[in-house]
Amino acid sequence: MSKSRRTTRRVKTAPRGHYLLRLFTAGDGVNSQKALANIRSLCNQHLKDRYTIETIDVVKDFPAAIRNNILVTPTLILVTPRPTVMILGNLSDFPTVLTALRVVERKT
Amino acid sequence: MLSKRRAISKVPTRVSGLDEILEGGVPLGRTTLACGGPGSGKTVLGLEFLYNGAMNGEPGVFVTFEERAEAIRMNAHSMGWNLAAMEKSGKIAIVEARLSGDEVCAGEFDIQGLLTIVGGHVKKIKARRVVIDALDVLLRIYGDDHRERLELSRLHDWLIDRRLTSVLSVKAHNNGKNGSQYEFLEFMADCVIRLDHRVTGQLATRRLRVIKYRGSDFGTNEYPYIIGDRGIVLFPLTNVELTHQPLGSRVSSGLKGLDRMLDGGFRRASCILISGHSGTGKTTVASTFALAACRRKERVLFLNFEVSKEAMISAMRNAGIDLRSSARSRMLEIQTTLPESMGSDGHLMYAIETIDRFEPQHLILDAVSACLRMGSEQAAFDFLIRLISIVKERGITSILTNQVSGARGRDEGLSGIGFSSVVDAVVQLRFVENDREVNRQLLVVKSRGSAHSNRRQPFIITDQGIEFPDPSRPPSAPTRRAGRKDRAK
Repeated sequence: MSKSRRTTRRVKTAPRGHYLLRLFTAGDGVNSQKALANIRSLCNQHLKDRYTIETIDVVKDFPAAIRNNILVTPTLILVTPRPTVMILGNLSDFPTVLTALRVVERKT
Repeated sequence: MLSKRRAISKVPTRVSGLDEILEGGVPLGRTTLACGGPGSGKTVLGLEFLYNGAMNGEPGVFVTFEERAEAIRMNAHSMGWNLAAMEKSGKIAIVEARLSGDEVCAGEFDIQGLLTIVGGHVKKIKARRVVIDALDVLLRIYGDDHRERLELSRLHDWLIDRRLTSVLSVKAHNNGKNGSQYEFLEFMADCVIRLDHRVTGQLATRRLRVIKYRGSDFGTNEYPYIIGDRGIVLFPLTNVELTHQPLGSRVSSGLKGLDRMLDGGFRRASCILISGHSGTGKTTVASTFALAACRRKERVLFLNFEVSKEAMISAMRNAGIDLRSSARSRMLEIQTTLPESMGSDGHLMYAIETIDRFEPQHLILDAVSACLRMGSEQAAFDFLIRLISIVKERGITSILTNQVSGARGRDEGLSGIGFSSVVDAVVQLRFVENDREVNRQLLVVKSRGSAHSNRRQPFIITDQGIEFPDPSRPPSAPTRRAGRKDRAK
């Protein structure tokens, strides 16, 4: 997933940046609706006013699915800040999503 | 019973031998499961099915979960299938459905994305066939059996709804692990083919078996197969008697006396067995036939499993049979291989390749007894019965020599390795001893569809070849020493 643009400065991965998220859904399936609701709610809580969510329906735009290698839906891609991350599922597991998006530090 | 059953429509795979086993092909618009261990040829089977379809007006989509598209193209290329050209002309599409492994799972998901991608390609090239290679890889991303089954059902229904004839391949291990998912897959698919790559007696063999075929009959045996230069080749042992052409016209044995005993000679496209103890002259009789055929400008392929080409030519020269010019003029091809060098499937493929290239009218195999060293009696039987079937179908005369041992050589020689039903004629050679000397005798034991002499005919091997001394004369002509150099002991 992080094969290109590795050179982007690490500073950009800091939680201060603007988040560009791309959500791939399939029609109006239950999981797709849940995923959209979940990511909106998460962003409103943790990334207020510094996020953009693009939704792409693979049923309508199948070339986009090929371009992004979307095998399962819903799939969320964190486009920026780099590195990109791919999260599969309806995003109901909030702690996992937040950690993957680097919004909160992983507790170890 | 049979008439009540609605005949289902089938799609020929055009994989050599497979359609015979499946009695026509895989079910039209349904799913077929191909399972097998690593290296069993699942991917090749899928590729061949897809490629043959594309060549015959049925475009197809190949979905690979494991290998990169480029690796698939190269794999196909080694079989002579140019996928890149087919992709360009819109006959084949390859979908690389590989997850990187870095993905994070957070909640439920389904394979709608994959179906959308495949569906897009199907629509674009008007595909009728779909191959999904290494489906087991997709299943790994699911944690539990229930969701796995749900997704498999979804995939299955999706394929069926679109009336796509599909082949799904799954890596299966023989250890019984992960049994549940495969059980479910086997239940779901309409046709299940199991590929097995096993090692017996240090030799690798491949076997294919059809486990089930909903609504259809199928060959229930295990069938040996090889992965050759041009894909998978199966050797279904169909009803030998029915598929064979009738015996052909007469062909001289190269010996006037023997021709008389056979009421005119051997029959073309028949299988002749020459049996006898070591040193009785089996190779000499076979070589006499070969030389006579070559002089008539008929090609002879000599498969020698016993001695080197040079040793054979030199031994035959001592007996007055000079094969050198026949070999030089390419009328005679001597192929020597050690039986141990490969499995019987490999030997069979090698022989078939030579037959395809050389197109002989006659084939000589020296000796049946040496074929046992291919691994086991079963391996030798597989090799011989299939080779004989193939050459008979092509109208090639086959002469097999068989070395017998033990005092009751006659019976053993006849039953030999258990393939006597495909043998049309049997010539038995033996030594007859008295107080002063040892002499050779020849007897035609069997000659299907023809009269033959029942006399034990004395013969001698001179430095001018085989001769039948006049029986009214005492058999005192100089005979060669029993047991030629190359067969000492």
